[in-house]
Amino acid sequence: MTRAFLGALGALALTATAAMAEYPDKEIQGIIQWGAGGSTDTVMRAITPHVEEVLGGTIVLQNMTGAVGAIALNHVAGAEADGYTLLMGAENPMLYKIMGLGDKDYGEFIPLSILARGTPILVAGPDAPFDDYAGMMEHIRANPGEVRFGSTGPGGLPSVVTAMIDAVEGGLDVIAVPYDGDGPALTALQGGAVDVMPAVLGVAIEGIRAGKIKPLAIFDVAGHDKLPDTPHITEFNAAYETYLPWGPFFGVFAPNGTPDDVVAKLSEAFAAGVQNADFGKLMEDRGFTLMGISGDEARAFLTKWQQGTAWLLQDAGHTKASPEEFGIARPGE
Amino acid sequence: MQPIDPEHHDGTSDATPGGAPDRRRPGELAFAGALLAASLGLLYSAYGISGFEALSAPGSVPMATTLVMVVTAALVLLRTARLPLDRAETLAKDILPLTVVLFAVALVLYGVLLRPLGFLPTSALFLVGAVKYLSRRGWAWTLAVSLGSLIVIWLIFRIVFSVLMPAGILPEAEVIQLFRDLLQGDAPQ
Amino acid sequence: MSVLADVLTVVTQPQLLLLVGLGTFAGVYVGAIPGLSVTMAVSILISFTFSWDVYPAISLMIGIYMGGVYGGSRTAILLNIPGAPSAIATALDGYPMALRGEAGTAIGVTTVMSFIGGFIGIGVLALAAPLVSDFALRFQPRDYMLLAVLGILLVGSLSQGSLLKGIFAGALGIAIGAVGRDPLTFAERFTFDFQILEGGISFIAVMIGMFGVSEALGQLHHVDKDAVRQKISRIVPSLSTVRKHLPLSLQTSSIGVVIGALPGTGGDIAALMAYDHAKRVTKNPERPFGEGAMEGLVAPETANNAAVGGAFIPMMTLGIPGDAVTAIMIGALFIHGLNPGPMLMIDQPDMFWFIVGALVMANCFMLLFGLTGIRLFTRIVEMPRSVLIPMIMLLSIVGAYAVNNSVTDVYWMLGFGVFGYFMRHYGYPLGPVILGVILSRLLDDNWRRAIISEREDLGRFFEGIVTSPLSLVLFVSVILIFVSQTPVWAKAKARVFGRKGEQQ
Repeated sequence: MTRAFLGALGALALTATAAMAEYPDKEIQGIIQWGAGGSTDTVMRAITPHVEEVLGGTIVLQNMTGAVGAIALNHVAGAEADGYTLLMGAENPMLYKIMGLGDKDYGEFIPLSILARGTPILVAGPDAPFDDYAGMMEHIRANPGEVRFGSTGPGGLPSVVTAMIDAVEGGLDVIAVPYDGDGPALTALQGGAVDVMPAVLGVAIEGIRAGKIKPLAIFDVAGHDKLPDTPHITEFNAAYETYLPWGPFFGVFAPNGTPDDVVAKLSEAFAAGVQNADFGKLMEDRGFTLMGISGDEARAFLTKWQQGTAWLLQDAGHTKASPEEFGIARPGE
Repeated sequence: MQPIDPEHHDGTSDATPGGAPDRRRPGELAFAGALLAASLGLLYSAYGISGFEALSAPGSVPMATTLVMVVTAALVLLRTARLPLDRAETLAKDILPLTVVLFAVALVLYGVLLRPLGFLPTSALFLVGAVKYLSRRGWAWTLAVSLGSLIVIWLIFRIVFSVLMPAGILPEAEVIQLFRDLLQGDAPQ
Repeated sequence: MSVLADVLTVVTQPQLLLLVGLGTFAGVYVGAIPGLSVTMAVSILISFTFSWDVYPAISLMIGIYMGGVYGGSRTAILLNIPGAPSAIATALDGYPMALRGEAGTAIGVTTVMSFIGGFIGIGVLALAAPLVSDFALRFQPRDYMLLAVLGILLVGSLSQGSLLKGIFAGALGIAIGAVGRDPLTFAERFTFDFQILEGGISFIAVMIGMFGVSEALGQLHHVDKDAVRQKISRIVPSLSTVRKHLPLSLQTSSIGVVIGALPGTGGDIAALMAYDHAKRVTKNPERPFGEGAMEGLVAPETANNAAVGGAFIPMMTLGIPGDAVTAIMIGALFIHGLNPGPMLMIDQPDMFWFIVGALVMANCFMLLFGLTGIRLFTRIVEMPRSVLIPMIMLLSIVGAYAVNNSVTDVYWMLGFGVFGYFMRHYGYPLGPVILGVILSRLLDDNWRRAIISEREDLGRFFEGIVTSPLSLVLFVSVILIFVSQTPVWAKAKARVFGRKGEQQ
């Protein structure tokens, strides 16, 4: 009798506080999909203090690695949709389904903010016998099956860029050497273990400035103001315009079903974080383009990204399952 | 009460594993057999990864290592079977005394309860139970020692290193936020 | 002399000096607790020091790094539970010393040797960083693979007792390291279609289970026995002891610097390789290895602290991390508005020299904190086992969870704890298992990279080995060490040399 009474009292007290307390009334867990020291980790750790300030709460960041980020994604997707568990990730979950890595992607989440996107760039080692994209293609055609491309596994940025080259130029006969990430692959590039590497501009830029890495072409429809002397790919072949602009991105997500007011508050806070001058400078220095979009705009961006990339990989024969099976429409259909 | 004899290789030091080189300890044969069976299972599983697809296939190194496991496990099993059984030892006394079994069970229970009950209650139960059982001292001493050290561990991991152990039934995060607000001087809105 | 001024920045600003000291002190304890890792501490410091200036932030991180690498040896010696992977080799001879009541001596030697190793690492960083990083860059996938093979041959020196069981344990370790989604192709390996296995098994969880929980379970046999009384009268080793081990410590420090400077290998592998080296070159240890040989402490401890300086070499000259901690520090520099990369040393040489200065101070603080407070630490082993054992178990659980915030890792840790307990009792060495897990990816990934680069052609692969001097040296070392472990060698050696032959 008394126990039941106490229980009821406790429940009452809990609902009362829940109704009265304003979000956030406890710390928020930010689950980072990648390990400490990676670019996703750095970006998230850089923006979080600014977001905390706006939000008036604490975000505890935790790295949860494994299965190319699928472990973290599944963890957050399975967490309570109360806005206290957020996923801080990069672009690759949009490819999990077609790569056979899982049955969930960002479709299970509300995009709170797509923070920024990167620009791909094709780079070569300092001793490569060619200086630009045209020279590289010539070299590849003259030495079929000998040029080594750095890669980061199926679905990674290098595999997408390589698939683009394959689609545009037709029959790219190169060796793809897989690495754990673009950092180790760029190291290998400087040591001569790979010849060419499609990478994010931000990761390669310091090496380029020091002359340790040779830029071949920026994979965009226009040049980049951080590397004004480097040509963009459509200068060499206009056919790339079909696929560009394309690039990896960083985003923060909450599981579907999170209350609207919480989503609004978080989106606002992250938008303010993106606007912060310090964060902006930091990202710009690394060659990232700030986005800070959320809601329907972010959803549209994600859908478009997924359609383009998934079908590109499908056509290049890199997928485990067709995008069609998951209702991912071919772009333009 | 007697001091531990460092010369006696009882498995407490990794560099000198506790096996007896010229005799078979109770249960050793079964263990070797189990390892061989497990190795065979793993070899089969490794074959299933990619078969003999290519030298660079993801299954190549696993197949090579599990093959080594099978071969060595089989050789160990043969050698073990040839050794005379150590009659002076029994499984219940020297390998799996009651205390060890109890603790293994307690650890399994801990794993089961950790998620639903939460870190603090589960650990409190475990520590109090374990210390009481091992020390056979009074409740006051047991509670003071185990709960005191639990709080220290919790403070280090939870507050300093912000490792979020499963909260379970205690509203840990809310309590911490309360303290945080108090410290910052502004009342919770 | 602006270089000197930059080096001395840390000394002239009391606030920075204090932070280095504080960091080192905290690092010793973080390193000593299994599961609390330096990597973790430093990544938390990134958010914590976000609003600070870059110098204080880096000071604190460097202190923690230096202290933490050293701290791992404490629990390895006192409890046979390495606080960090780089202290695994330290446990092999450190714990037998503690069992004899010589924990004080062991800690003293460890501290002084870590100090010496640390200085050699910093010295190389300061004087020859560009040279070493050029050398490190030259390592091709096949060289990394040969290095991993060389590492796997250490199984021989880590398995006292049965070599056969050691080889089994090593192979098991490699298989454990392969569990989960393959990072290169995303193929599932040994997952048996369980989702929880997809992420793989954290090797820290394996280490904590095998050393922590299985040790605690083993100690249950002795609950009623007295703890070993520790003599702590003589902590600082005599000058003659230090001088005697100086040649060895120079050799093992060089191993530490080089392995530390290679991206992808760190203090853990360096320490194990150094232990193996010590075993090879020490002809007459006072006590046999594995029973408390002083050389068995000197080698790994000089190597893992020398690896700290080594890890900074590629970080400062190329912006490439030498290990997990320097990877996070690169992120920290970036957050503080610097651009870590090959231009850092040219654009901002003051940063480089400041880090050198901070490392030197951290090394000195490490010596200071290492030699004081030992009494308190040795009290831990003198605690009644009825309290110590449950505490070790609880710390192991929290530590395993903390690695990746995953309950699954806790289950693995417990499972390997019980398995390790049986392995101990039936004479299977545990060291090779951890060695296998550490080297698994290095071996597997680089073998595949190497053979893919050669278009799956074994002929071209061996041609590559023979034509590259670096690969050839590594390959010959592999062959020599392998042969030296077979009985054929012992016979041939007795006939030809009449005494122990040396390689390396």
